[in-house]
Amino acid sequence: MDSRVPRRLWSLLTSLKTCAGLGLLFCVAGAAGSVAMGRYPELFADMDAQVFAGWFGRKGMTRPGPTLWLYGLLLSTGLLAVNAACCTAERLVQILRGTVTLRRLLPHVMHVAFLGVVLSHLLSALYGDRIPGVAVPQGGFAPLGGTGWVLRLDRFDAVMAPEGYPKEFSAAVTLFRDTTPVARGVVRTNEPLFHEGYGIYIRNFGSTPWGAPYAVFDANRDPGATGILVASLLFTAANLAYIFPAGRTDA
Amino acid sequence: MVPDSPETEAFVPHLEGFHLLLFWLSLAAYGAEAGFRLGGVAPTSVWRSPLAAGVLLHALFLAVRWVLSGHAPMAGLFESLTVFSFCCAVAGLILCREEETTAAWKPLSVLVLLPQAGAALIDKRLTPLYPALDTPWFATHVGLSFLGYGFFAAGLALGAVHLRGGGEAAYRAAGKSALYGFSAFSAGMVCGGIWAYYAWGSYWIWTPKEIWSVIVWIYFAALTHLKFIPAQDGWPGWTKRLEMGATAAGYFVVLLTFLGVSLLLRSSHSF
Repeated sequence: MDSRVPRRLWSLLTSLKTCAGLGLLFCVAGAAGSVAMGRYPELFADMDAQVFAGWFGRKGMTRPGPTLWLYGLLLSTGLLAVNAACCTAERLVQILRGTVTLRRLLPHVMHVAFLGVVLSHLLSALYGDRIPGVAVPQGGFAPLGGTGWVLRLDRFDAVMAPEGYPKEFSAAVTLFRDTTPVARGVVRTNEPLFHEGYGIYIRNFGSTPWGAPYAVFDANRDPGATGILVASLLFTAANLAYIFPAGRTDA
Repeated sequence: MVPDSPETEAFVPHLEGFHLLLFWLSLAAYGAEAGFRLGGVAPTSVWRSPLAAGVLLHALFLAVRWVLSGHAPMAGLFESLTVFSFCCAVAGLILCREEETTAAWKPLSVLVLLPQAGAALIDKRLTPLYPALDTPWFATHVGLSFLGYGFFAAGLALGAVHLRGGGEAAYRAAGKSALYGFSAFSAGMVCGGIWAYYAWGSYWIWTPKEIWSVIVWIYFAALTHLKFIPAQDGWPGWTKRLEMGATAAGYFVVLLTFLGVSLLLRSSHSF
């Protein structure tokens, strides 16, 4: 093999022009996707009802036409991550051989954080779990997917405004494994109940035909969520440190 | 909402009228600024301009509305548009203070005026907040996103000025607009992700709005890299022009994300 090929490949992978081109590909694919989602609601409506890998394995492969944009999105995201990793690997060697300054390191801290977000999201997309639409009447029980837990709605409260919209609503719940309570709490909007990596969220509520209130819950597990939070905060800190030095003229 | 003692209840209608007066005065100030700029009349200093007065009135309007409604005035189309206008003006005041960048005020004054004028056509009644929006993450997510949008609007004006023969100062300020906007928008996305995780069970939901938000993020992330492409690396000599063109075009990507998704596409994540 021509010895120049690996060098050219490395040069391509570390290139800023590659970054710009992949960014453009991402934008085009995403724009096409936003239109396709509205055009094929029967295909995309349940995307959030399961983790992405499961959904894509089932529908992305069987309907490659309308989901072509997702291939573009995944390809460009993956290659952008490789581009950022290679760029940082190359530049870090140069930086460490020369004068190491925080200002020179910060863009690469942002690259590492971006990689952290992509990898953490991959973890969630592969190993997460979605249990949507679990309806439980007050005093009743419902199993939570394949977790082996059973959710009991102990009490539901809603405060309605005179105009008829809900001002706030809450559900006191208990989580059982077999007959043993393993977690108990009050679930409100923006305040889920967390247990062993799962978050239990109140989604909706109403009244049964016999007048008892019921609440609808989702239970989700995102194993990459903590990684994404840490990487995002790292990105934000590095970004702020990068833009705020006094006297910058080359922003 | 404001406390409901009899004294404050009697006062609220006056305060509501007063805050709408502030809105109309700020709109008039922005209109005067745009009119003067388009007519070739430039104030001696941006701080002694109708726009500066408009920003003060606008800030007061937003503060009073926040007190009256009990939540950050960023819910619904009216509040979104008026906050967008305010952020455009603030971004302009941050980036276009030098003499060399004042030419950008001609297009920027129009970009400040248009959303405020659009807001003027919309129902301005105070509305309660949907429970999911009743969290500090709402104000931080939306506020930082609009601050980013404001910088991107300034980028359109500065990029256009540079492309029409503006100097290095316009180029540097346009670069800052992309970088500051990207930073604010990124921080807004982080806040939005945290909020979504607590409210909807995932930091990411597949809706056109989310997809377009990431498009904006990737677009400006790539844009901030353009200036580092070495000219001798086979990259054409028009790097700066491409960068400025992309900075200016970024505003339209933002407009599609902000208004286009809500008005043209079906998305559960809109106003």
